[in-house]
Amino acid sequence: MVEKERPILSVDDLSVSFRTYGGRVQAVRGVSFDLYKGETLAIVGESGSGKSVTIKAILGVLPKNGRIDAGSILYNGEDLAKFREKDFHKIRGKKISLVFQDPFSSLNPIMIVGKQITEALTLSLGMDKDKAKARALELLHAVGIPDPETRFYQYPFQLSGGMRQRIVIAIALASDPEILICDEPTTALDVTIQARILDLIKEIKAQRKLSIIFITHDLGVVANMADRIAVMYAGKIVEMGTSEDIFYRPAHPYTWALLSSIPDLDTKEELVSIPGSPPNMISPPKGDAFAVRNKYALELDFEEEPPMFRISDTHFAATWLLHPNAPKVEMPEILAERIRRYAEEKLANAR
Amino acid sequence: MVITLFIIITIGFMVIRLMPGSMYADDADMTAAQMEILRAKYHLDKPIPVQYGIFLRDLVLKGDWGTSIKMYIGVPVFDVLKMKIPVSMYNNLFSLLISLPIGVLLGIIAAVRKNSIVDYTTSFMVVIFISVPSFIFATLLQYYAAFRSGWFPIIYEASATGFAKLHSLTLPIIALSLGPIARVTRYLRAELAETINSDFMLLARTKGLTEAQAILRHGIRNSLVPLANVVIPMFTHIMSGSMVIERIFSIPGMGGLMVSSINNTDYPLTLAVLIFYSVVSLVTVLVVDLAYGVIDPRIRIGGRHIE
Amino acid sequence: MSNVYSPTDPRFAHLGPEKFRLRQTDAVLLDAKFETKPIGFFRDAAMRFAKSKISIVALIAISIIGFMAIVGPYMTPYGYNDQNLDYINLPPKIPALARFGIFQGTRVLQNRRVDALSDTSRYPEGSIIRIDNRRVMGGVELCDVTVDYYRYMGIDDDVYFLFGTDYLGRDLWTRVWRGTRVSLIIAIVSVICNVSIGLVYGSIAGYYGGSIDMTMMRITEIIDAMPDVVVVTLFILYFGSGLISIILALAVKNWIGTARMIRGQFYRFKNHEYVLAARTLGANDARLMFRHILPNSIGPIITRAMIAIPSAIFTESFLAYIGLGIRAPESSIGVLLSEGQKVLLYYPEQTFFPAVIISILMIGFNLLSNGLRDAFDPTQRGTE
Repeated sequence: MVEKERPILSVDDLSVSFRTYGGRVQAVRGVSFDLYKGETLAIVGESGSGKSVTIKAILGVLPKNGRIDAGSILYNGEDLAKFREKDFHKIRGKKISLVFQDPFSSLNPIMIVGKQITEALTLSLGMDKDKAKARALELLHAVGIPDPETRFYQYPFQLSGGMRQRIVIAIALASDPEILICDEPTTALDVTIQARILDLIKEIKAQRKLSIIFITHDLGVVANMADRIAVMYAGKIVEMGTSEDIFYRPAHPYTWALLSSIPDLDTKEELVSIPGSPPNMISPPKGDAFAVRNKYALELDFEEEPPMFRISDTHFAATWLLHPNAPKVEMPEILAERIRRYAEEKLANAR
Repeated sequence: MVITLFIIITIGFMVIRLMPGSMYADDADMTAAQMEILRAKYHLDKPIPVQYGIFLRDLVLKGDWGTSIKMYIGVPVFDVLKMKIPVSMYNNLFSLLISLPIGVLLGIIAAVRKNSIVDYTTSFMVVIFISVPSFIFATLLQYYAAFRSGWFPIIYEASATGFAKLHSLTLPIIALSLGPIARVTRYLRAELAETINSDFMLLARTKGLTEAQAILRHGIRNSLVPLANVVIPMFTHIMSGSMVIERIFSIPGMGGLMVSSINNTDYPLTLAVLIFYSVVSLVTVLVVDLAYGVIDPRIRIGGRHIE
Repeated sequence: MSNVYSPTDPRFAHLGPEKFRLRQTDAVLLDAKFETKPIGFFRDAAMRFAKSKISIVALIAISIIGFMAIVGPYMTPYGYNDQNLDYINLPPKIPALARFGIFQGTRVLQNRRVDALSDTSRYPEGSIIRIDNRRVMGGVELCDVTVDYYRYMGIDDDVYFLFGTDYLGRDLWTRVWRGTRVSLIIAIVSVICNVSIGLVYGSIAGYYGGSIDMTMMRITEIIDAMPDVVVVTLFILYFGSGLISIILALAVKNWIGTARMIRGQFYRFKNHEYVLAARTLGANDARLMFRHILPNSIGPIITRAMIAIPSAIFTESFLAYIGLGIRAPESSIGVLLSEGQKVLLYYPEQTFFPAVIISILMIGFNLLSNGLRDAFDPTQRGTE
């Protein structure tokens, strides 16, 4: 468990919108979270929930038509939300790095991979070439690439997907950042490779005492990775808690739905899908954005947005079901059943 | 490639020899005997396949292109070409060499400042320069920049050398270059705008490169790779454009030679000019293929080597 | 964390128990239905096209020129080849515009002797409009005279030529519009040939694939490797420079691009499930090709045709310029330009009108094809 200390990154009430032909898309609507030293925070949500936009705002690489409307991103006592492009140069890569989703497109196809690692060192840190190369080889070794000397001079197309993702991780680690942001780092990879990359990230985190923000749409992936999990829907965090809170004591109907839709070998029932599709973010609905897809929606959900309800010191959820006046609603039986089983398994493993 | 050239030479030869009418049909003053002598001299009395065999044999073994039979009587075709080619190539290559950097530069500016006034202005000019034929610009330039203002000579001064020569070729080169510049600009703008939005540009920025460094090191080189695609059609475009431009500015180059050799039924000359144009465009294709290898490691190394 | 619920927060004080009723526990939640009417492919494209102002302007400009190309030659009493040596090289005179000071039928005559100005046999009454730039050279006083050229030439006041006349006294208005018509016909017919050949060739190669495809594509590669100038020149050398042969010469290389595109489309669509479904239902080859696969390519085909038109217009005038195209007395934009070029330094107005028309046509067709491409394929927007 992470101790209560001062967070190294603190996002407060962040709102981001995009100008499009159809109107302003409100991609992120008041997102708040803290990241503590040495922890892994997973942000989970379906595509379009605003998770990628949130991290792009943190790194200052929003597309030209996007802008931060409100909120702050505090890092080291400075507000990144107010940063200009040139201020970001001392942060990006050096303090906060990013690992991309798709290793096939995130490496420059016509530049040798070694150079792609060293250029971050030579250009922005002013390291000399030999030193940068030595460092790059060291990094290649650290991310588990055999024969770094040869790989250094190869082009991305000569490497497999897993290798490339290791290179991308090496690039991200080049200048020893404090925070590593992983944007669905395994989605584009084969399942067997996925597990190895996840192990690598865990290992690196332990070695370098990194703080990690891990973006994914797949709750299954984060189960073994994350210390804390934030569930996002329609530009908002709807539930946030420790890994245990989310997996064993989920409180938001959306989290229920997400958990029920994870494929599971032991579940005999048909997989539960979430009906409907995410709302149009040009004009988000009044009240709770999830209400129309929610079997447990209250009258109030259609009128008023729920605030965050505090369940424990670490666990919060934004649903009116937690209001003292709300009817007692239990999570779906299929999910309750699963959770019981997980708990038993865990207990059995512990013995 | 050699096969293509062979096919072109064959078709060219056949088409020209099978043209209706005798090569000397209009020389009414000649006696039948004189005509026979001439026909025998140029092997015109033999069946066409034999003529073709003789032509190929001379061309391949002796490098003999035959002699001009109408315009420069008795002069080897090769010597005529040697006289004309430098003038045309001077224009065409010059135009190509200035179009590429200018077009690339404008394309980069337009892409980086996308949707700004600069971009819109460039796009507007691009449409105009791509659409309006080069000979219209040539005419405009000739009238305003040469005739009315006297800044440049109205027609090419054949005797001039060095700077004076360049000066008298300025207008034709500008007229030839406007279209290609616009083409390169349009292509590079589209390509670079796409590259700028690619993941590896984002990665370059998140690893700490400034936007300018990212565009310079990752954006531009990557967008130059497919530029080779436009260079081939561009050069053939310049070559055909220059045929008209040469006429307008009275430049004694290949364009004029081709037209007058056709009009004067000087067939060995026509054939040689056609072969020349084919060779140049085939060489362009070859050069571009080689350039691809230099720029793009995927082609140079070839294949996918995955461990 | 901001916005955490607390029971004392005044914002939440008014929430009565009636709000906390489950609303849709028993409702069956379904995926949202699309309630808007489906929009047909062409209507969709037309709607997108209509949004682009530039494309509309281009379409209007082309339509006006097209209309004039049809009716223009009949608007004056002169035929396109009516020569009149009394009327040679007249400047344009457009009565409706004359009072704005343009196209008055005037011309500046340079270096005229001042003492001859009063000679009415050379300068008929009322022909002199302005005298500038008086100077003495070699003891003779010279000046530049702006004259009403029609009066100067002794032509009646009610005779006028809207675009002036050429060196044979032919009415340029008639010749320009007739030339536009000829150029447009050549361009359009050659593009139709180009598309038809490309369509059939590409469909066969793409549909049957295999060795048929291989052979057919080999052939196109060889033709494609020959430079345009050479192919067109050889073609015209062999078939002469008649209208038909020029039309075919313009199509002789261009169909290859169309064929490749169609073949590509066939490769893309022929293995789609709906085609397989139609095949299992017993549709024959022709039906599969033309009813099921080809309609997918209609957008790219139209766009391609639109791009091919300006390049055909260009090639036509190019050929006329170098003397291989349409020959005088027939008119075409290329013929007019090349004739105008010869007298450019003396009578620039003879080049002006055909140059403006070809420029507008070329720009118009290019913009139109951009607009159509965007309309048919919105994902391609912005790329070239």
